[in-house]
Amino acid sequence: MSLAIKKTFIEEDNLWRIELAGEVDIYTAGQLKEAFIKIIEEKKESIRIDAEKLEYIDSTGLGVLIGALKRLRQENKNIIIFNIKPSIKKLLNITGLDKIFVIEG
Amino acid sequence: MSRINDNISLSIPNKPEYVSVIRLTVTAIANRMGFDIEKIEDIKVAVAEACTNAITHGKNDTDNFFVEFSIDEEKLVIKVCDSGKGCATNCIKNPDLTLLNEGGLGVFIIKSLMDDVNINSDLGKGTTIIMTKFLGDDM
Ligand SMILES: Nc1ncnc2c1ncn2[C@@H]1O[C@H](COP(=O)(O)OP(=O)(O)OP(=O)(O)O)[C@@H](O)[C@H]1O
Ligand SMILES: [Mg+2]
Repeated sequence: MSLAIKKTFIEEDNLWRIELAGEVDIYTAGQLKEAFIKIIEEKKESIRIDAEKLEYIDSTGLGVLIGALKRLRQENKNIIIFNIKPSIKKLLNITGLDKIFVIEG
Repeated sequence: MSRINDNISLSIPNKPEYVSVIRLTVTAIANRMGFDIEKIEDIKVAVAEACTNAITHGKNDTDNFFVEFSIDEEKLVIKVCDSGKGCATNCIKNPDLTLLNEGGLGVFIIKSLMDDVNINSDLGKGTTIIMTKFLGDDM
């Protein structure tokens, strides 16, 4: 299985909405990194990630999210994640990343 | 005494695209053994992290690394072994997120999700990580 990334800029909320579908691992993390770099270059605004169709993310993928957040924090912007599957939520809990990103729902 | 004592060994190319193959394999093995969904997920995530480390911290991409599954009635033991550059295991620290540094999550995740974890590493020779998950209630 691979990774699909859909991005939309929501003008009225002034933030990015990113839909992730599939798996982020050592094979697909580079793709996610590229996408975030492009997005942040285009508009340095907060990113709201819809994780409903995100089946799996490993430490490599979490590292990409941390890297993106680091760039956004310089402008006081954030990464918000919602619709998270229980297995991924567990991973965010044990790593403490649930306190670093904004988790909704 | 356990009646079952089955071993499965795999030799895998040092390439990122094969980690998903291991995830599917270990999921199937754990499922067949009767682990519940949450434990299957734990095992899958931990084994994938170990394989990812074997690939990213390995020496060269022409080598293979090895995954061994030992199955008995009460537990699944998974050994991931590479002949990469190795590391000083006492230098592996818990992640510190306050600085938003990337990396250093994998081993911490493995230790959190598995019942028993052992890492043996020899600088220049390679690394072996042995992870155990028990079928019964968590210890
Ligand atoms: N198979 C291995 N061979 C050599 N060194 C390893 C191996 N596995 C882990 N290490 C060492 O242990 C450190 C911690 O590993 P860990 O998986 O926690 O973090 P990481 O791989 O650096 O980053 P992340 O897993 O968050 O993407 C690594 O940086 C590396 O130095
Ligand atoms: Mg790692």
